[in-house]
Amino acid sequence: MLVFLTKRLAFMVITMIVVSALLFVLLEIDVDGVATKVLGPYSSAEQRELWLERNGYRDPLGERYLRWLANAARGDFGDSIRFKTPVGEVLWPRLWNTAILGFWVFAVMIPLSLVLGVLAGMREGSLLDRSISITGIVTTSVPEFASAVFLSAIFVFWLKLFPGTSSMSDGFSFRELALPVMVLVLYDFGYVARMTRASMAEVMTTPYIRTAILKGLPYRTVILKHALRNALIAPFTVIMLQVNWLLSGVIVVEFFFAYKGFGALLLEASLNQDIFLIEACAMVAVFVAVATQTIADVGYTYLNPRIRFT
Amino acid sequence: MSSKKTRFHFVRRARAHDHPHPYVPELAEELRKGNVTRREFLRTATLLGVSATTAYALAGRIIGQPLIPQARAAGMRGGTLKCSMRVQEMTDPSTFDWIPKSNVSRQIVEYLTITGPDNITRPYLAERWEASEDLKTWTFHLRKGIKWSNGDEFGADDVVFNLERWLDPSTGSSNIGLFSSMVTESDGKKSMTPGAVEKIDAHTVRLNLNRAELAIPENFYNYPTAIVHRSFAETGANLSKNPIGTGPYELVSFGVGEKAVLRKRQGYWRGDVSLDEIQYIDHGDERAAAVGALASGQVDLIYEIYVDQLDVIAALPNAQLFEAVTAQTGVARMRVTEKPFDNKLVRQALQAAVDHQRVLELAYRGKGAVAEDHHVAPIHPEYFALPRMKQDIDKAKALLAEAGHPNGIQLSIDTNNDARWEVDAVQAMVEMWKAAGIDVKINVMPGSQYWEVWDKTPFGMTGWTHRPLGTMVLNLGYRSGVPWNESNYSNPEFDAALDDAGATLEVAERKKKMEKVEKILQDDAVIVQPLWRSVFAAGSNRLHNFKMHPTIYHQLDDVAVG
Repeated sequence: MLVFLTKRLAFMVITMIVVSALLFVLLEIDVDGVATKVLGPYSSAEQRELWLERNGYRDPLGERYLRWLANAARGDFGDSIRFKTPVGEVLWPRLWNTAILGFWVFAVMIPLSLVLGVLAGMREGSLLDRSISITGIVTTSVPEFASAVFLSAIFVFWLKLFPGTSSMSDGFSFRELALPVMVLVLYDFGYVARMTRASMAEVMTTPYIRTAILKGLPYRTVILKHALRNALIAPFTVIMLQVNWLLSGVIVVEFFFAYKGFGALLLEASLNQDIFLIEACAMVAVFVAVATQTIADVGYTYLNPRIRFT
Repeated sequence: MSSKKTRFHFVRRARAHDHPHPYVPELAEELRKGNVTRREFLRTATLLGVSATTAYALAGRIIGQPLIPQARAAGMRGGTLKCSMRVQEMTDPSTFDWIPKSNVSRQIVEYLTITGPDNITRPYLAERWEASEDLKTWTFHLRKGIKWSNGDEFGADDVVFNLERWLDPSTGSSNIGLFSSMVTESDGKKSMTPGAVEKIDAHTVRLNLNRAELAIPENFYNYPTAIVHRSFAETGANLSKNPIGTGPYELVSFGVGEKAVLRKRQGYWRGDVSLDEIQYIDHGDERAAAVGALASGQVDLIYEIYVDQLDVIAALPNAQLFEAVTAQTGVARMRVTEKPFDNKLVRQALQAAVDHQRVLELAYRGKGAVAEDHHVAPIHPEYFALPRMKQDIDKAKALLAEAGHPNGIQLSIDTNNDARWEVDAVQAMVEMWKAAGIDVKINVMPGSQYWEVWDKTPFGMTGWTHRPLGTMVLNLGYRSGVPWNESNYSNPEFDAALDDAGATLEVAERKKKMEKVEKILQDDAVIVQPLWRSVFAAGSNRLHNFKMHPTIYHQLDDVAVG
């Protein structure tokens, strides 16, 4: 297990280094472009040259990259061009906001989709299964930007239940959080529910479940004690992958509801070519991606003793 | 911008200060004869240093219209205004390139003059001014007794500091184009003309111009000309970190991309303003978000509503719509130093193929006015009506053939999707150009990316904001070598004609001189300018006394919420 963990961690670090190198080359190879972005379009050539000198941009690319990497590892990504403050001051609060959003999405979505998935998978082909499956397909196939408009039309403009934007400008508010959470849950629960259903249905056809039923165990016990643990392995991975999806999936929702989170920040940073902020956001996104993958792999071995990595 | 105190001040001053510019009596005579309109009279008289109250009274006496100075709004006062608007960085007002930036700073720092929604320029930090007969020497008398928020006394040193800073090219301020009559160029380097800014005493500043210029007072109310404290540069040149101002509000909190909060300051020199607090809330680039916020009562004002959103606002039961006729526009400008736009015939072909009226209808629902490719609007006082331009596809084809492209030409135009109508206008024009054998590819980019290349791309659609005078925008954008000359246009004949018109005081005479200016620019075909657009804002029905300014400058003295 220790070897496995070490391997996974090493793999994580290597992935991140490769991505960081790519990112750095893509964004910072054109040093004059960097200076223009930082100092603005009205800056003079002389101003730009001075800035480049002062900030070590005349050093070789490799040296610059290593310096950048060392700073990044300490969490120092430089100053945001658009916000005119250190990147961290903008990034961490925004990431925290997205974590809050993500937490509530998961808190609603996981129980909902697992219960629905298990119910549907228990008796394949039943009316309940059909209804849940079809609902899941429909909601999943509606993209977030469409359901955001749709839910806004109902809850903001018609019923006037929830506020139209979620910028939390007067502090945290559950009412403002409701619509973004709804949109994300609506999009995602169908997918997870269907994965759970498939997994559950498969488990239900295995001989050991048939045996358990035939030997006269109560149906409840069969489901809860025998079927569930095995049926939840596949959904577990899927759910871990949703963390990843959430980080990019929230862009649309955050943008639409003006929620001040990581997704909106990433979009804004790219639209404004705020390179240092883009670098930081990308590194965070990569970290989350590889970290969740690692956790999923580790969790997998724990849930399913048949899978052993060395 | 009138509190009781100020208005009394105007009247008192009008009595004390009875030396109007020698042209004023003549102007009054012209008004009586009907040679100038009431509007032109008011504008010119106030520019020459007659107070707005006196000018309005004079106009009322002459043509028998009732005296209607902007009345102090009665009734509701106070409240907190929440406005949906981009909250952008706010470091240096002199380098602002977006009006939303200035709307936050406008509540903190102030201007020497102020132009109201009626296009009339009034005294503000400057109590009064005089122009010499040749309009080359301007004396500004600053109001005494104004205190900065840090306790310092406002005076001539502040104004001199700001002017010198604007006119220093290393500051990177667009004001250098606006005040080009105070700039000399030697060895290709621009600098302030020695002696152009002169401190007479602690509250008097004199400007000595290279050439006659009428629009000086109006130039002082361009959005990047806010007067900052004389210590601005040495304390880090960052208004958001060090918000010292003379204005009615102080900055309580400021987060780029999030929120700016301003609270009423005690001891403001004009006395009490209405709102207790102003909050600008950033809802990002998604325009539907702001409408959602208005619909659910999260905000009471949306900075700007676009023409395609009018129906949504009309459908909201609790919303009110504001409209202002403006000289805001978008120009498909061609960089005259880049191929193939260095050939005037190509540019003229593009111009000839466009039906301007039709573009106005297609892209802007006809809400505005037809433009004529010379960037002077019918609402500008010096506007001279040239013969109407007509779409002429055959002429366009002929011009193109003459330019060496008998089989048509392929071009690409950059446009940005910050304002949907600009993309729509480009699309409408592209269809018209197609008929003339000009195949134009549209490159739609996000606003921020467009503003990186707006003054570099060979062919681009650039939005221009309203300015009260046509000569103002021509000086900013078309005079040879100014920073915002995005088309790299340089025509000494045009510059000279513009100087000539800017130096002419007689309204009718100036109008005539504008004919030449407009004609040169139109014939040189630097821009294809389809339309002048109205601008819109939306507010809730809790919002009172809000007046839409054509530039969407937020003048909020009398606004109340509740």
